[in-house]
Amino acid sequence: MLIFAISDKGGTGRSVTSANIAYRRALPGADVCYLDFDFGSPTSAAVFDVPSALRGTEQAGLHSYLRGEVAEPQRIDIWAETESAGLRPRPAQAGQLVLLPGDRGGGEFVLGSDTVRRCADLFLRLEEEFEITLVDLSAGRSYAAQLVLEATALPELSSVTARWLVFHRWTRQHIIAAAGLVYGDRGIMATGASRGHERDRLRDSVRFVRAAVPSPSSPMFAELRPAQALWLSICDEDLTRLASEHKLGPMLTLGTVPLDPVLQWREQLITDEDVLSSQVANLETAQAFADLAAALTDDRRWQSPL
Amino acid sequence: MTRPSEPFSTVSPPAGPDLLIGEVRTALLQHSVALPRAAAGQLLQLRHGERVRTSERPSGQAVSPDLLTGVDCPLPTASGRAVRGVGTATSRAVLTEGRLLQASVRVRIAATGGSLRLPWGHYLARPGTVEPSGRLAGADLVDGHLSADRLPGGALDLGAIAERLLTDLQGRRVLDRRAPFRSRRTRLLWTATRAEPGGDGPGALFTIEDGTLRTLRLTLERVDPVAVAAFCEDLALHDWLLTTLVQLVERSGLGSAPGPEPLLRLRPAVDHLLHLWMPGARVDRALAPIWAGLETRPGFTRQWAATVQRIRDHLALQAIGLPAHSYQGD
Repeated sequence: MLIFAISDKGGTGRSVTSANIAYRRALPGADVCYLDFDFGSPTSAAVFDVPSALRGTEQAGLHSYLRGEVAEPQRIDIWAETESAGLRPRPAQAGQLVLLPGDRGGGEFVLGSDTVRRCADLFLRLEEEFEITLVDLSAGRSYAAQLVLEATALPELSSVTARWLVFHRWTRQHIIAAAGLVYGDRGIMATGASRGHERDRLRDSVRFVRAAVPSPSSPMFAELRPAQALWLSICDEDLTRLASEHKLGPMLTLGTVPLDPVLQWREQLITDEDVLSSQVANLETAQAFADLAAALTDDRRWQSPL
Repeated sequence: MTRPSEPFSTVSPPAGPDLLIGEVRTALLQHSVALPRAAAGQLLQLRHGERVRTSERPSGQAVSPDLLTGVDCPLPTASGRAVRGVGTATSRAVLTEGRLLQASVRVRIAATGGSLRLPWGHYLARPGTVEPSGRLAGADLVDGHLSADRLPGGALDLGAIAERLLTDLQGRRVLDRRAPFRSRRTRLLWTATRAEPGGDGPGALFTIEDGTLRTLRLTLERVDPVAVAAFCEDLALHDWLLTTLVQLVERSGLGSAPGPEPLLRLRPAVDHLLHLWMPGARVDRALAPIWAGLETRPGFTRQWAATVQRIRDHLALQAIGLPAHSYQGD
């Protein structure tokens, strides 16, 4: 299954959330690979804490592969190569967790039919091996998003399930922007339809993920004055209404990731150790990632809401 | 890049090549059922007008016609010496029991070549041969080829040719892309050199480099490209079967998770893999002792048999245990 992670704006926590989803999915035994298609600024090596990839991917990353310079993109076995002590050694039942990094300083590139072909070949190749192929796309309307829309429209990929996760923060601007990215001009729906995707099928394969959402009941806000608490809950209601008006309602929302101080300071994978023994991260955050990871393949969550 | 060249038949390569290098990549065919013979023939029809060879005993196998790929690039030397090679690589695809697909690429390295590139007709008259520019130590190239992963890119990469062929075949429309389980492709990098008189006798050194990469150094009295390639394909096939079965068992939780769940997860192995084990069935008689040596160490069949037996023992236990359990439940 192909999962595309996208957001309209930067700073939504798209990369760190999707990396955590990949990690949570691999833990109980699924084989997962994570593709860094954020061609403007490939950063996944930092989230997974693989410095070897930060240094070594000058030549054989995804950019080089898509440009046809190498036959296969570099693959990094996270369990073996991460320097994060919490991720090693590989947990007993865990499946593969593989990162395909972008090239350092790769930048965006021009789309051609060869690029689309190579992208489709790569997706088919990974489908052979991995239960989940998670593709982290750049923020906004990018070449990367166009590329994968074209590749998934090819007849060879028609039998491969592709789903979209659209990340947005829980603010007015982010909600409006996320709706625009999906339903607006040159958005996913419009671009997809022009590339040959069936409109209804594509629409039903899109779900939203609310990131960095402050929960009024969280212990973080226990010290709020009554006026602040009231204001927060009024805002929350307003935003809920706004989201529904923009077709980002609860039926189309796959999950909500709470605001977590750890992720505000450092983009990293949140392990059970971080939650249970050192307690630097919140249990709710880890739970949200695990729920999202399970929801990826839960078909009931992907039924057409219409 | 992988394209059929013009037919030729007049000049055969000089007898007794000294050095062969090759790579075999093995994958599960991306199809829901074993591909029937006719469809297999159609899939492997890589050159118009040339026959796909098929055989039925002891297991069904189809072999594509040979393809030639022109190469002109540095050769992989362990020392880093710059030696250019010009010529062609031979590749072919093999489908076993309609289930396992392999891309096999090989190159014969000529003893010496000129320092100037000759017209292509010269190389096309020597299919599957690459001529080095200048002198080349065989051991240097053997080490370089087998450690190709760790060398900087740009050198002769047989894996890239194999990968393209596999990707091309796996993407064909006759395949429904609903394989019964997910699996990893494996790679076997191999070399074959002629045994030196007075040196070590014929033999094989098989090494598991990582989860999917294996290397094989063959030392033989006679280096016959077709027979050696077939041997390596057979070895790669059985190594894939063993690797995949062991991995399926590991991941199923057999022996640790309770109930029938682990065995249900092993169902695809029972349905699709267990009957494919037939090591050495198509290996040239001259190479049979090499297989026998590999059966002693590391002992492929021993590990396979033990794993299969383990699955069957658990099946037997479940078969007894389940009715008893439901009887108590009543």
